[in-house]
Amino acid sequence: MHKRSSLVLLSLSLLGGALLGSASAAPKKVTGYASLGVVNGKPGGSYTLVLGDSPQSLLYYGAIDNNLGLLSQQLFDGLVEFNLATYKLEPALAESWAVSNGGKTYTFKLRPGVKWSDGQAFNADDVVFTYKNFIMNPEARAGDAGNFKLDGQPVTIKKVGDLTVQFDLPRPAPAFLLQQRYFILPQHKLAKFTGADVNKAWPTNVDEAEVVGTGPFKLSRYTAGQKVTLVKNPNYWKVDAAGTRLPYLNSLEFLIVRDPQAQVSQFLAGNLDQLNISGAQFPDLKSKEVAGAPFKVVRSKALFGSPPFVAYNFDAKDPALAKVFSDLRFRRAMQSALNRERIIDTVYNGLASLPGHGVAPANTAFYANTQRQLGSFDLAAANRALDAMGLSKRNGAGLRLLPNGKPLEFDLTYGTDSAVYPPIAAILQSDFAKVGVKVNLRGILASKLLSTGQSGDWEMILHAFGDQPDPELRRPIWQPGGALYYWHRSLQPAKDGDRPNLARMLPWEKDIYTIFDDAATTPEASKRKALYTRWQLIFAQNLPVTPIAKPENIGAVSNKYGNYVYNLGVIPGYNPVPLIYQK
Amino acid sequence: MLNYALRRVLGMIPTLLVISVICFAVIKLQPGSFVDQYLEDPRFSRETVENLTRQLGLDQPAWRQYLNWITGVVTRLDFGYSFASNAPVTDVIGERLGWTVFIAGLTLALTWLLAVPLGIYTAFHRHGAAAQFANFMGYVGLAVPDFLAALLLVVLVRQLGGTNVGGLFSPDLIDAPWSPAKVLDLLAHLWIPVLAVGLEGVAGLMRQMRASTLDVLSQDYVRTARAKGLPEGRVIWKHAVRNAVNPLISLAGLSLPTLISGTIIISIVMGLPTIGPLLYDALLNKDQYTAMTLLMFSALLLLIGNLLADLALAWADPRVRYA
Repeated sequence: MHKRSSLVLLSLSLLGGALLGSASAAPKKVTGYASLGVVNGKPGGSYTLVLGDSPQSLLYYGAIDNNLGLLSQQLFDGLVEFNLATYKLEPALAESWAVSNGGKTYTFKLRPGVKWSDGQAFNADDVVFTYKNFIMNPEARAGDAGNFKLDGQPVTIKKVGDLTVQFDLPRPAPAFLLQQRYFILPQHKLAKFTGADVNKAWPTNVDEAEVVGTGPFKLSRYTAGQKVTLVKNPNYWKVDAAGTRLPYLNSLEFLIVRDPQAQVSQFLAGNLDQLNISGAQFPDLKSKEVAGAPFKVVRSKALFGSPPFVAYNFDAKDPALAKVFSDLRFRRAMQSALNRERIIDTVYNGLASLPGHGVAPANTAFYANTQRQLGSFDLAAANRALDAMGLSKRNGAGLRLLPNGKPLEFDLTYGTDSAVYPPIAAILQSDFAKVGVKVNLRGILASKLLSTGQSGDWEMILHAFGDQPDPELRRPIWQPGGALYYWHRSLQPAKDGDRPNLARMLPWEKDIYTIFDDAATTPEASKRKALYTRWQLIFAQNLPVTPIAKPENIGAVSNKYGNYVYNLGVIPGYNPVPLIYQK
Repeated sequence: MLNYALRRVLGMIPTLLVISVICFAVIKLQPGSFVDQYLEDPRFSRETVENLTRQLGLDQPAWRQYLNWITGVVTRLDFGYSFASNAPVTDVIGERLGWTVFIAGLTLALTWLLAVPLGIYTAFHRHGAAAQFANFMGYVGLAVPDFLAALLLVVLVRQLGGTNVGGLFSPDLIDAPWSPAKVLDLLAHLWIPVLAVGLEGVAGLMRQMRASTLDVLSQDYVRTARAKGLPEGRVIWKHAVRNAVNPLISLAGLSLPTLISGTIIISIVMGLPTIGPLLYDALLNKDQYTAMTLLMFSALLLLIGNLLADLALAWADPRVRYA
C-alpha cells in the first residue's frame, strides 16, 4: 500500500515533469509576520543553539525530556501548528479540517506531496500509526494516552482515504483541535516497534539515517555529550512569501552546555548564536549590547512560560494552620503583604508584569483583566485584616498567636537552584515578618517542588506552572480535585478519573469545578470565553493560589542572523527557526 | 607474591557485595522516586506513572529489585538498564568512559609530575624564597575550589578575546575527523579544566611529599650518607627520596576512584562529556542501576588501587616484603 502510493507519486512527477510535480506538492506559504519583523531571507548559513543536556532518546514519545523536545521540534511536525504572532491554529501537515457530528467528529485532510526526509511519501497511514502506536499507547513513556479517553470512553482514529484521517470522540471536546500538534513519526521506519517496546526505538546511538521526519531539518550527527548537528531537509513543505523553500539555514547545531553561566560564556564567546536568558541575566548582557557587542537582547511579552505563585496548604498537617490557610481573609491579607512591584523590580529587573489568574495577559483569546483584584502592597491593611480575623494577640517577639496560643509560624518551601525563587522567598519572608507572621525558608531542588507539593508535606510553597493558550489544557491544575490541584489535596478522588470529593469543596471551588466541566464540552467559542472569564474572576477573588508576576521572555541573538522570533523551544507547533537566515 | 595478589582479589568479592547492599539501601532510603521528575509535564498522567513504575520494575519490593540486579551482574555481567537513557547502563557509561579516563588521567599525571618534585624542592630549600612562594601558591590552590578556578580562568580567557570557554573542542571541530588542527584545538580547550583540577591536587600532594621528605632528612642514615662524603645528588635521590616516597605510593592507590568522582562539578561547569555529571544526575533522579553501577565501579577502583599500591610498595620497599 505504502510502496504503491509512493510509486504512483513518482510516476506522476515523472510524467508531468516539474509543473505537475510542484502542483501536486502544495507547500505552505509562510507570510504575514511583518509585525514580528520577518522579511524574505536568503538560503545558506549555519546557526548554533544550546541544549541544557544530552537528549535521553531520539524518539519523542520515548522520554519526557526538554532536550529531546527541542530537537524533535526541528525534526517533526504535527497536524496543526500555531500562528507565530497570534497563537491561532493554522494548517501544518493537515491542510484543512472539518468538525462535524455536533463537535464529535474531526476530519483532517492531509497536505498532499509532503515527503519524509528520506524521500518516502507521507500519508494517512503514518498519522494513524503514530497516534495508535505512540500517542495513544499507554506504554509509551511520553505518550499522551490520558488525553484520548473522555469520560472513560476512548477517542478512535481511522484512515478514511490516502490523505484523510478521522477522529471520533465520545463527546464534544473543543480543545481537542489545539492538542493535535503531536509530532507525526514515519511508519516505514518504526513499524516494528509496538507495545512497551516503543520506548526502545531510536536510542541516542541509533544510525542517524534511521531518524526520518517531515520537519525543517534532519538529523546529521550526534556526538555524545557534546553536539547534535541537524542539516536542512530539502523536502520541507514550507516556502517563504517569495516562494523560496524553507528553512533558509543549511545546518542547525545544538551545543550541549549544562551550566547556565557556561551557556552565557559560550554565547559571549560567539560559540552560540542564540540564547534564552532570564531577567536576572538581562542587565549584564544588555550593557554589553549597548557597549557594542555583536548581539542584541530582545524582550517579548510571553504567552508561554511559567509565572510563579505562592500557595497555602488547605490540608496542612497542623489543624490550626490548615484552618487559617483555608480562611479567605488570611489569603487576602497576605496578598496585601506581597510586594509584587518590588519583586518585579529587583528579582526580574523590571522584566515582568502583573500576573493574570491562570491565563497569561498576552492571551487575547481568554484573558480577563483581573488586575484590580490583585490589590496593592499595603502592610497596614494586611495588619488590620489579620487583626480583624482574630489573630490580633501577639507574643513577646511580636509574632501573632493562633487561637491555640501557638505563634503563627510556618515553612515556605521553594526551589534553591533557580535565579528567581530564592530572592522572592527572601522578600516574602521579610515582608511577612513585618505583619507578625514568621516564615521559615525550606529550600529544596526546584525539580522536586511538584512531587513535594503532591505529597502534602508542606505549609506554604513557591512554585510555578506553565501557561497554555487554552485553559482546558491546564485543567488538571486549576480544576478543584484535579491531579495537580495539590493545595487542597483532600478533594482529589481516590482513583484517577473518578469524581472528586465534591462534598469537601468550598462553594467557590464547586463553581470553578462546574465551569471547567461545562467549558470542556461547550463548542461555542463565545460561551467558553464567558465561562473562563468567570473562572478568572472567582480565582482572583478567592485565591486558591496567589500569583506573583508574569515574567517576560528574553532572548539574545547574534547580529549575524535575521528574522529572530522568541521561541521558548519546547512548545510543539511553535517553531520560528525555519525563518531564521544568516545575513 | 602471586599467591598474595590472588588472595587479595578473592577477598574483594565479599567486600564488593557488602558495599553493593549498602549503596542500594542508601539509594532506596532517599524519599521520592525516579518518576517524580516528570510529574510536571502535562502528558504525564497517573496511568503513565503506574505503567512506568511497572515497566521499570519499581513496583517490586526493594530486596527483589536488588536480587534481580545482582543476579544479572554476577551471572550475565548485565548491569541493568539506565532509566533515564533507556539503554543498558554499560552503553551509557561506555559512551563517556574514554574521555573520562583521558581527562582524569591527564589531570593526575599533571598533579604528580608537579607535586612530587615541588615537594622535594620545598623540603630541601625550606627557607628559600622560591620554596616559600611554592608553598603559598599551594595553599591558594588548596583553598580555591576547582570549579571557581575554572570559572575565573574562563572569564580571563574571554576578557583576552579567546573563544575556548568550555567543552572539549570548538563547535565546528566536534564531529570533524581527527587531524593535527583538532588535537591543537583539544589542547587549547583542555588546559583550563586540567589546570584547575590539577592545581588543587598539587597543593595537597606537595605538602605530603614535603612532610615525608623532611621526616627522612632527620634520619640517621641520611646524616651517615652525608658524613661519609656522598655527593648531595646521591643523598637526595638514593637515600632520602627513595624512602620518603613510600606514603605517596599508598596515596596513589587511593586516588584511582577520582577517575569517576573527581571531575563532577568541573565537568558540569566546563561542559565536559565525562561520567561525573552522569553520576550526579543518576543519584539526584534515583536512576538506581546507573548510580549503583557507577558506585560499584568506584568501589572496585578503590580496591584495585589499594591492591596495586600495596604491590608497588612491596616492590619499592624491601622492608614491606620481608614483614
